Amino acid sequence: MSIINYASREIQFKIVYYGPALCGKTTNLGYIHQRINPENRGDLVSLATASDRTLFFDFLPLNAVVIKGFVTKFQLYTVPGQVIYNATRQLVLRSVDGVVFVADSQWEKMEENVESFKNLEDNLAKQNISLDEIPYIIQYNKRDLENIAPTNYLEYVLNNRKKRVQSFEVVSSTGQNVFASLNAVSQILLHKFSKQSDAPKTAPPVAIPVEPSVMQRQSAAV
Amino acid sequence: MNAIPCLTIEDVATLDGVLADFLTKAEADLTVVIDRGGNVISQYGDMTVMDVTIIAALAAGSFAATKELARRIGEVEFNALYHQGNGNHIFMNSVDEDNIMITVFGRRTTVGLVRFYSAGTAQAVSTLLKGVSRNGHGFEFDPSDVMSSPVFADQ
Repeated sequence: MSIINYASREIQFKIVYYGPALCGKTTNLGYIHQRINPENRGDLVSLATASDRTLFFDFLPLNAVVIKGFVTKFQLYTVPGQVIYNATRQLVLRSVDGVVFVADSQWEKMEENVESFKNLEDNLAKQNISLDEIPYIIQYNKRDLENIAPTNYLEYVLNNRKKRVQSFEVVSSTGQNVFASLNAVSQILLHKFSKQSDAPKTAPPVAIPVEPSVMQRQSAAV
Repeated sequence: MNAIPCLTIEDVATLDGVLADFLTKAEADLTVVIDRGGNVISQYGDMTVMDVTIIAALAAGSFAATKELARRIGEVEFNALYHQGNGNHIFMNSVDEDNIMITVFGRRTTVGLVRFYSAGTAQAVSTLLKGVSRNGHGFEFDPSDVMSSPVFADQ
């Protein structure tokens, strides 16, 4: 969180997309950049290798008028998912305000999901932040693939803390629930900094699904 | 309840005065004070030079990335970084453990002049920002000020 500059009447929030390698973090930002009103966004900056793997971070600045009298700037970052880049993930997490944890729904990625989630907890702890304090939501990405774990299993594995959080079934390549999850984390974040910041009463019991009609259309296309 | 630290109008006027004085003396084009997370705190000068938000994110990353390089030669971190272009250059220096100052300058001046004046400016900015965190001004907004509609729309 930054200091608010009262003269420019701007508030900045930093949201980090976190998750294992190749889970779709950059794809999320790419979709948002592509679909949001160009007047409300800056350039998408990607510091990637020649093979498009995120080396340092991706960065997308967004503007919105959501608080009366202030321009609210949301800065979206991704971290590099590859295990060896932990130092970089710690850097990107500095001054973070909200997190979108992107899990890969495929069965074979479950161990990486768990490791990455634990790594997020550890890296936040190094900044004296607990996952219980920071606004975050979980995305179960790649719901259009065949070999995916059911959401109740993913919920059991990744969303089984004392305080459960909102979770979304996502297909980041087609944009399903990409904006829904961004809006959810933004609202939780704004709620945190408003005067009556009681936490939402209860977390939803199940992951918010991809619209069935869309999934059917996709299966029909296959 | 979580208050967001804020610079009052008076703080901003003082900060702008310090930065304006620095730009005049160093003959630089633009100076931006950011935190190490990449958030812009204040800026002064020719804003058309670049997209300040993106430069802030990249500068914070660049500053942090060289920390390991500094450690390899027995330093905690580099206090300043200089990126030399053909006509425009960027000089970044540490304000304190939480903040960085970025200066963009062109052919009118030299890196020596920018470096010389930035040291004193960083000191003044640090004192001011530490005062802000000590005096505990905090901004909270009323829930009714937050729009209930989705923040971002998929077009």
